[in-house]
Amino acid sequence: MARLRSRLLPLIVGLSSVALLATACAPGPSESDAAPAPAHSVDPKDFAGKTLNYVYFTDGPDEKGTRDLIAKFEKKYKVTVNLEILAFGDLVKSVQARLTGGNAPDVVRLASLSEFRDDLLPLDDYAGAAFKDEFLPGPQAAATNAKGQLIAAPSDLTINAPFINVDLFKKAGVALPDEKKPWTWDEMLTAAKKVQAATGTPYAFAMDKSGHRLSTILSQYGTTMVGPKGNTLDTAKAEKALSPIVDLMKDDKMPRDFWLGSGSKYKGANEIFLTGDTPVYLSGNWQVGQFVQNAKFDWAAAPNPCAKECGGFPGGKFMAAFKESKNPALAAEFVKFMNSAESQTTFVTAAGALPTRVDLAKSGVKYGDAKTQAAMDVFNAELKRTPEADFSTNGDPAFSGSATELVNQISAVVAGQKDLSTAMKDLSTKIDQLVAETKQ
Amino acid sequence: MTTVAIPLALNRRKRAPWGLRLAPYLFLFPNMLIFGMFTVWPALNGFNMSLYASSNGRTFKPVGLGNYTTILTDAQFWSVARNTVVYAIAFVVLSTVLGIGLAVLIEAQKRFKVFFRSVFFIPVLISPVVVGLVWGWMLERKSGAVNTWLSWIGIGEVPWLVDNTWAMVSVVAVGIWMQVGFYMLILLAGLQAIDPTLYEAARMDGASAWTQFRSITLPMLQPSIVVVVVLATIHGFQSFDFIYTLTGGGPVGATMLIVQYIYENGFQSPIRYGIASAGGVLLFLVVFVITIINWLISRKREAV
Repeated sequence: MARLRSRLLPLIVGLSSVALLATACAPGPSESDAAPAPAHSVDPKDFAGKTLNYVYFTDGPDEKGTRDLIAKFEKKYKVTVNLEILAFGDLVKSVQARLTGGNAPDVVRLASLSEFRDDLLPLDDYAGAAFKDEFLPGPQAAATNAKGQLIAAPSDLTINAPFINVDLFKKAGVALPDEKKPWTWDEMLTAAKKVQAATGTPYAFAMDKSGHRLSTILSQYGTTMVGPKGNTLDTAKAEKALSPIVDLMKDDKMPRDFWLGSGSKYKGANEIFLTGDTPVYLSGNWQVGQFVQNAKFDWAAAPNPCAKECGGFPGGKFMAAFKESKNPALAAEFVKFMNSAESQTTFVTAAGALPTRVDLAKSGVKYGDAKTQAAMDVFNAELKRTPEADFSTNGDPAFSGSATELVNQISAVVAGQKDLSTAMKDLSTKIDQLVAETKQ
Repeated sequence: MTTVAIPLALNRRKRAPWGLRLAPYLFLFPNMLIFGMFTVWPALNGFNMSLYASSNGRTFKPVGLGNYTTILTDAQFWSVARNTVVYAIAFVVLSTVLGIGLAVLIEAQKRFKVFFRSVFFIPVLISPVVVGLVWGWMLERKSGAVNTWLSWIGIGEVPWLVDNTWAMVSVVAVGIWMQVGFYMLILLAGLQAIDPTLYEAARMDGASAWTQFRSITLPMLQPSIVVVVVLATIHGFQSFDFIYTLTGGGPVGATMLIVQYIYENGFQSPIRYGIASAGGVLLFLVVFVITIINWLISRKREAV
C-alpha cells in the first residue's frame, strides 16, 4: 500500500499542478475585452477579386435558388463566393468553433440569431438605415438589436398552419374548412374525429413534436412564453390551450408514442400525414414542396383554428454578416443583394417560403405550380392574421430553451407524471430562469 | 578502508549507447504528441472551462465553483445521475456475465468456433447511430418487429420505448447486444491462455464441469474479467450515441444519461459550455475513482 501511495502521489500532484496552471489562464478573452470593431464603408469597385465565405444550411429545394443567385452576384461584382453547406444540426457549434478559432465565415444563414447576436455586423452602417424598412415589421423586429440596428436580413418567412387530407374529408362527407371564415379548435377537432371515425385512419390529428408548433396554439389562446418584458406566459390560458392536445394523445387520437418515444428531440409528423394516417396535420409552409412531390392523395393547406386570436406562429431564416468578417463591406453588400426584391423572389419561389419584404408581401409572389400557389396563398393569409407579438417571441433569446421545456412538460403530462396545471406552473418557473440567464 | 577503482572503459560498457536509450522515447513520441494534443490538453481545458460561464465559447465569465453548485442543485442532474448508475450497473454486470457465458460456450465448440465468434462480434462494428435507429424501428409498440414476433406467441403490445421501465430495459439490452461481442473476445483470449493440463488433472480427480469452471476457469480468467469490468464501466458511464437515436433520452428523461446531459448543455440552446464542462469533470472523477477501486481490488487479489 505504501508503494502504491508513493506511485500515485507524484501522479496526482503532477496532474493537479498542470490543472492549476491551466486554471490560472482564462480560456478566452473576458467579456469586457469583446469590443465591437468599427465599421468602414468601401467602394464596391474595390470588391473585384475578393473571396467571400457563405456558411449555409439547406432545406432542400432552396439550394438551387441560392446557387443561381450566387452566380449572379459573382458575375456582377467579379468576386468568388464559397458556399459551404453544413448540416442544420451542426451549424451553430461549427460556426461558434470557427469564431473561437479566428476563422469566422463572412456570411451565415441562421434559423435563430440568439447564439450570435453580439457577433453580427450591424447592416445599417453599410446598407443604409432605410434598408431595415424594406422588411415587414415582425421579421424586422426579430432581426434588430437593442440599439435599433438591423443585424441580419430576414431572408424568408415560415408560418405554422394545418394541412388536411382532402380525399379523406370528401370520403367522410365532412365539409372542408372555409379559408375566409376560419374554424375554431372545437370545430377542427370535431371534423377531424368525424373523418377518423368514417375512414378508419389510426389518428384524427397529428402535429410535429415541437415547442414552436405548440406555441401556435398558445398564441391562438392569447398567450406567449416570452417577450421583451420577459416571461409572458399566462398559465391559465396555456392550460386551456393545451388541454385538447393532451386529451387527444391520452385517447390515442393523436400519436402518443410519437411524442414520448423521442425524448427531448424534435420530430416531424410529416410521414404520418403522407401515409394517410391522419386527416389533419399541424405543421407549416416548408412542407408544401415535399407534399407537392410525394403526396399520393389530394391535400390542402387550411386556415389555423381561431380561439381568442387567429393566425399561426412565425418562424424563418436570416442572413447575417459577422463583425469578424475579413470583408465586412462585401459581406453586407452580399446580404443586401441576396435580399433584394428580385433575389428574394427567386429564393422564396425555389424554397416554397414566404417573402419577408414589404413590397413582395404586398404584390404577392408567383410560385411554380397551381397547387403550391394555392397552399402558399393560405399561408400568406395566415401571416396577416398572426399577432405581431409572436414575431418578437420567436426572436427572443429565451424562446428556444422555453420551447424545449414546453415539449418536456407536455411529455410529462402525457406520460401521466404530472397534471397540466402543475406542468404549466413548472414551465413558468423554468421560463423565469431562462429569461434571467439570457439577461446575464 | 580500501577503494577499488573501476576502470572507466568497463563502466561505460555497462550503459547502453544514448541512441538506444533514446529510441523507446522516439517511438512513443508521436503517439504521446497526439494523445497530449487531442486528449490531455482538451481535458485540462475542459477542467478550466468548468470554472467559467460561457454561452459562445469566446467570452468567459469566471464563476469559480458556481457551475458545480448549479449542477449539484439541479434536480434533472440527480435524475440523470440515478439513470446513469442504474444503466451502468445493469450494463456492467449483465455484459460481463453474458460475455463469460458466450466465451465459455464458444471455447467449448469443436466446429464453427470462428463463425460464432464473428457473429457475436459483428454488432461491435456497426455504427451506434445505426444501432439506435434500427432497434428504434424494431421496438416500436404498434408496428415494430419485436412486438410482431411476440404477438405470434400471444404476448400483447409491450411499450418498449414509451414506458419508463421498459425504455431502460430496452436501452440496457441494446447496449449489451452492441458491446458483448467485444468483451467476449477479451474473455475468449483469457480462456485460451489457461493451461489445458489443469482441466485434465481436475477431470482425473473427478471434478465436475461446474467445479472446473468455479475452481479453474473463473480464478484463471480474473485478469481478463477485471479488464472487461473496467472497460464496461467506462462504456456504461459514457453511453450516449445509440441511446440518443433510440429514445432521445425519453420518455420524459427516463433514459437520459450523464453524457446526454453534458451534450444538451453544451450544444443545445441555451448553450452553457461551463455547465457542460463541469458535468464532464464530474463524469471523469466518477470513472477515475471506479477504475482506481477496480485496480486496487485486482492488485489485492493478485497478491493473495
